Amino acid sequence: MRYVKLPKENIYDFLERLKDYGKLYAPVKISEKFYDFREVDDVKKIEFHYNRTIMPPKKFFFLPREKMFEFSISKAEYKETIENVEPFVVFGLHACDIFALKIMDTIYLDEFPDKYYKVRREKGIIIGISCMPDEYCFCNLRETDFADDGFDLFLHELPDGYLVRVGTPIGHRIVDKSIKLFEEVTSQDICDFREFEKKREESFKYHEDWGSLRYLLELEMEHPMWDEQSELCLACGNCNTTCPTCRCYEVQDIPNLDGDTGVRIRRWDSCQLRSHGLVAGNHNFRPTKRSRFMNRYLCKNSYNEKLGLSYCVGCGRCTYFCPAGISFVKNLRTIMGLEDKSCPPEISEEIPKRGFAYGGAKQ
Amino acid sequence: MSDNPYALEKAKVLRVYDLTETEKLFLFRFENSEIAENWTFKPGQFVQLTIPGVGEVPISICSSPMRKGFFELCIRRIGRVTTVIHRLKPGDTVLVRGPYGNGFPVDEWEGMDLLIIAAGLGTAPLRSVFLYAMDNRWKFGNITFINTARYGKELLFYKELEAIRDLAEAENVKIIQSVTRDKEWKGLKGRPQQFIVEANTNPKKTAVTVCGPPRMYRDVFETLINYGYRPENIYVTLERRMKCGIGKCGHCNVGTSTSWKYICKDGPVFGYFDIVSTPGLLD
Ligand SMILES: Cc1cc2nc3c(=O)[nH]c(=O)nc-3n(C[C@H](O)[C@H](O)[C@H](O)COP(=O)(O)OP(=O)(O)OC[C@H]3O[C@@H](n4cnc5c(N)ncnc54)[C@H](O)[C@@H]3O)c2cc1C
Ligand code: SF4
Ligand code: SF4
Ligand code: FES
Repeated sequence: MRYVKLPKENIYDFLERLKDYGKLYAPVKISEKFYDFREVDDVKKIEFHYNRTIMPPKKFFFLPREKMFEFSISKAEYKETIENVEPFVVFGLHACDIFALKIMDTIYLDEFPDKYYKVRREKGIIIGISCMPDEYCFCNLRETDFADDGFDLFLHELPDGYLVRVGTPIGHRIVDKSIKLFEEVTSQDICDFREFEKKREESFKYHEDWGSLRYLLELEMEHPMWDEQSELCLACGNCNTTCPTCRCYEVQDIPNLDGDTGVRIRRWDSCQLRSHGLVAGNHNFRPTKRSRFMNRYLCKNSYNEKLGLSYCVGCGRCTYFCPAGISFVKNLRTIMGLEDKSCPPEISEEIPKRGFAYGGAKQ
Repeated sequence: MSDNPYALEKAKVLRVYDLTETEKLFLFRFENSEIAENWTFKPGQFVQLTIPGVGEVPISICSSPMRKGFFELCIRRIGRVTTVIHRLKPGDTVLVRGPYGNGFPVDEWEGMDLLIIAAGLGTAPLRSVFLYAMDNRWKFGNITFINTARYGKELLFYKELEAIRDLAEAENVKIIQSVTRDKEWKGLKGRPQQFIVEANTNPKKTAVTVCGPPRMYRDVFETLINYGYRPENIYVTLERRMKCGIGKCGHCNVGTSTSWKYICKDGPVFGYFDIVSTPGLLD
């Protein structure tokens, strides 16, 4: 990997130059408590120290709502409606969000690549930045706290600038075109980088092994936590909207007023809504709030085989933005017996764990 | 091939048959003749059928892949899109993409007996398996098709199966058609599992396919296993809400943290052991 240093006094020049590659999006403060990726004109407004944006960067590639087709109804014809996507730059992603995009890629760029996602992914330049965790962060437990790839450039904060890792040919080009802004990395920079990483590692709230989580979640499907916590859930879907790896979408055909044309649109969906598992004849595969609540926990903690990671990257958004104050981490730690050490928990009756399956079951 | 996985192909309705009060059989042909002749699928796969401006629905292909140039869909009128589909007439055009899903591993079944157990709309995907086996009769041993519904007038493909009964019998193909609730029905009465004992198949070397409402599976499995049918040879085909058919929209996902499945991509056909290891697949 190639490493260069961006001295502090050159950062705004560098950001200004990024606009040569397309529209520049970066984290900005949008209210007292919230940050979001927005198009920036004045690079001085960019926030270098934020913990999480309200909307995850998936929004640049998998649009909250987008038109897929236009129909001519009487002719039974349709036209693809993929707009001409111009190159753009997203500056300031944290490692967890970069991992989240890699997870999105495993879904949207698999053997049936989703064209709408792909054209944007190909045009998006990704520039990462280092971060200091707050009490909501647990990317260290998800092993998504340090991105090895998935970025064009990655900036690590130093006392007097940034140590920059160059990840792709585009990254090299960006550096080379502004080479006057950069310097060679010095021995002192390496010490500072090491110091930063050490401090960061120590700042995480939890240092523990979650290796058994997947199995315990499955074995503890009757744990009282599920009833207690799903009872508090408002089913608003904020956890899905803000999650950088939630990728469920709903599709709708909408006829126009002329009656002969129409559009097919898709928009983000949430598994916490009743409609997610509803089929014709009013049958619902996830009829209760508890079953939908549990679904998110199981989905996010299932195993992405291509990356060897869970679908949750530990960004903390679903807890931070939950209006009911439900803590994802606390609930997972409860299941792992890390919150309350008594085992088994108080149970009213023993519920069969289904290991006997069907034939030969001791009924 | 389009680079857009949601791309649609025009298909023309050639014929429409009324099967029951709520189900019709549609015969389609792709308008592009090259696609029409070369398009193929495996029994158990499905297509996504679009009525432009109304919506898109997943429907199992119920014809045999051996009969090229057309395909058949058996569709129940139950909601918005299917109601509009039921108004289609020969000559009308719809938009189709697919085939999707894994389908049944019919190639692995060569030399085995075949037991098909269907209830209600489950007959549609299993008819494809049955017709495929009839078209490749030499590849299979004995065959039994147990076709059931609640009422006689709901039995799908009743007439078609009755019409070939005698001929089939001579070829070691047994057809059992039964109803579960119809008191007036003159023919057989009883649940599908009651007829497993009458099948002409050898439990030790039989591929079993089951499709019907979820609540019937437990009893069918227990009966099969009690009669010595091998769990590893039992297959089911399942249904969920679907919006994409290609593992993206997330609606058909089911499972737990160690076994997360997309019905559209990992299924809709699942083996018995998938079911046992994936809570939620059946219930
Ligand atoms: C793999 C598979 C194979 C199927 N094969 C057949 C078949 O051979 N014949 C048949 O009649 N039906 C079949 N179905 C069910 C059929 O897809 C639904 O009956 C149909 O989607 C209902 O649409 P609707 O608009 O009429 O109903 P509405 O209730 O108005 O549904 C609105 C929308 O919800 C979705 N939806 C509703 N029910 C289902 C469902 N059961 N499965 C998936 N999506 C649903 C659809 O996108 C639909 O457009 C199959 C479903 C699946 C998943
Ligand atoms: S589940 Fe929660 S913590 Fe995990 S990636 Fe999604 S929003 Fe972040
Ligand atoms: S099923 Fe739920 S948790 Fe999983 S990706 Fe979809 S919205 Fe997110
Ligand atoms: S139907 Fe969209 S993921 Fe299966």
